[in-house]
Amino acid sequence: MALLERHEWYDIARSTNWTPTYVSEDQLFPEVMTGAQGVPVEKWEVYDEPYKVSYPEYVRIQREKDAGAYSVKAALERSRIYENADPGWRSILKAHYGAIALGEYAAMSAEARMCRFGRAPGMRNMATFGMMDENRHAQIQLYFPHEYAPKDRQFDWAHKAYHTNEWAAIAARHAFDDLFMARSATEIAVMLTFAFETGFTNMQFLGLAADAAEAGDFTFASLISSIQTDESRHAQIGGPALQVLISNGRKAEAQKLVDIAIARAWRIFCILTGPSMDYNTPLEHRKQSFKEFMQEWIVGQFERSLIDLGLDLPWYWDKMIAEFDYQHHAYQMGLWFWRPTLWWNPAAGVTPECRAWLEEKYPGWNASFGQAWDVITDNLLNGRPELTAPETLPIVCNMSQIPICAIPGDGWNVKDYPLEYEGRLYHFNSEIDRWIFEQDPQRYRDHMTLVDRFLAGKIQPPDLMGALAYMSLQPGEMGDDAHGYAWVEAFRKAPPLAAE
Amino acid sequence: MALFPIISNFERDFVLLLLPVDDQNTMDEVAAAAAHHSVGRRVAPQPNKVIRVRRQGAGEFFPRDQRLSETGVRPMEALEFIFADA
Repeated sequence: MALLERHEWYDIARSTNWTPTYVSEDQLFPEVMTGAQGVPVEKWEVYDEPYKVSYPEYVRIQREKDAGAYSVKAALERSRIYENADPGWRSILKAHYGAIALGEYAAMSAEARMCRFGRAPGMRNMATFGMMDENRHAQIQLYFPHEYAPKDRQFDWAHKAYHTNEWAAIAARHAFDDLFMARSATEIAVMLTFAFETGFTNMQFLGLAADAAEAGDFTFASLISSIQTDESRHAQIGGPALQVLISNGRKAEAQKLVDIAIARAWRIFCILTGPSMDYNTPLEHRKQSFKEFMQEWIVGQFERSLIDLGLDLPWYWDKMIAEFDYQHHAYQMGLWFWRPTLWWNPAAGVTPECRAWLEEKYPGWNASFGQAWDVITDNLLNGRPELTAPETLPIVCNMSQIPICAIPGDGWNVKDYPLEYEGRLYHFNSEIDRWIFEQDPQRYRDHMTLVDRFLAGKIQPPDLMGALAYMSLQPGEMGDDAHGYAWVEAFRKAPPLAAE
Repeated sequence: MALFPIISNFERDFVLLLLPVDDQNTMDEVAAAAAHHSVGRRVAPQPNKVIRVRRQGAGEFFPRDQRLSETGVRPMEALEFIFADA
């Protein structure tokens, strides 16, 4: 018997809306779960997924992808790529797995919510595949680092991170809870798949796969490519959902969701990808700076996607672009200075050659961040390492859960963006973070940052060791300089560049 | 005598810091406590200068001998610590 072509049966097969008789439409699809914003179901039925795939096609392709990634891993297990890799590259792997693997599992739950409560049959269909994608991503990104756990227990944090109160894990959970765990199906389509995945992860994974290949880590490169091809498919769930919202008079509501989600995604990528690209990646493997990457992909590409859909650029667009020049440098300094609070070993990335590169890519770096690194370098050169260790906590933003920081030295622009709400004083890293809080204060008001918890007596003893224990960081897991401070030696021969 | 947490925003440093001080501390004592966490760690010393304290964005510094409890500063308010001529 001849089989029909997919296009001959697809539209009929995925027309899965029906008229309920035992329960009401509202009981079957409550607004709180659908987030349909009052747009009636027949309007949602025009949703046409841009990427069509049948279940047999999906299974066949995914099986090939898995076979490819696992084969590369098996073939290279004895290659000693890991042992020979620069310690900065190993730090990128540890940070990536801990921050991402269980986040993928959370994303699977979010996709499942779209499967059940998406108002458009096409959305539910795509999300079914998206749900299976995310499950695969969680599993494969736990399995691959598991091989390294006996060699280095920081890799145990691929699974452990999200189960702790380590500060970066709190930041990731806070952002992901807000973007997709505690959102309706429509909000997930807009905030997770459009803003977060189309805007950031899809491009990020493209860049990361290229970096891995450049660093000679073909196992990680094939893993990331395998994931990225899924992302590029299911990230398209959000576009048609936005079209439905906009064409039915809900542009303002859609715009607000997009604006919140891009701002939150930017913070996560700024602290995870910025230091990885500009500091942890060995100099000889850097293709472009983080700023150039953001300019090309976010300003050059994603900006067009927003406008093509009929959306406006977020109100803070210029402020965010201005942050490309400094925010990740500040995060890098915080990561390195509070290195015992990490599950990976941050590379300082400030050898004389690295600093020359930073000054070229970010004119003025030496007079600002370089001056602070001068003091750190001087302490290490002169036998005062204790002055490069933290003795107090940084103030953490009540939105991003990341320390509030900006430009030091010349051009000093560090500032608190406070807000008093119901008698409590909140602190934010920027106008953008504060604006997100103001959009829905009741949603965010009760969360306690790590500093709030410290002041409330939840961290005992109330000192750095108590804080490390609260974050579940055991000896052998706490971060330290990736290169064992070897980079400092270059300065015994040459003066710090900022002094010139 | 009461523990009084404030936020240190130290000139030329890159980050806001939690600074536990005492409400009976003078502004000079609060400034010394803030300097402990910034100067010589990420901020180069300026030996000929003193460190003055002001509210974020304020033009005027608090008097150097004024006690924290007399200033009206609230717990966890951000104060700026600025190098100034002695």
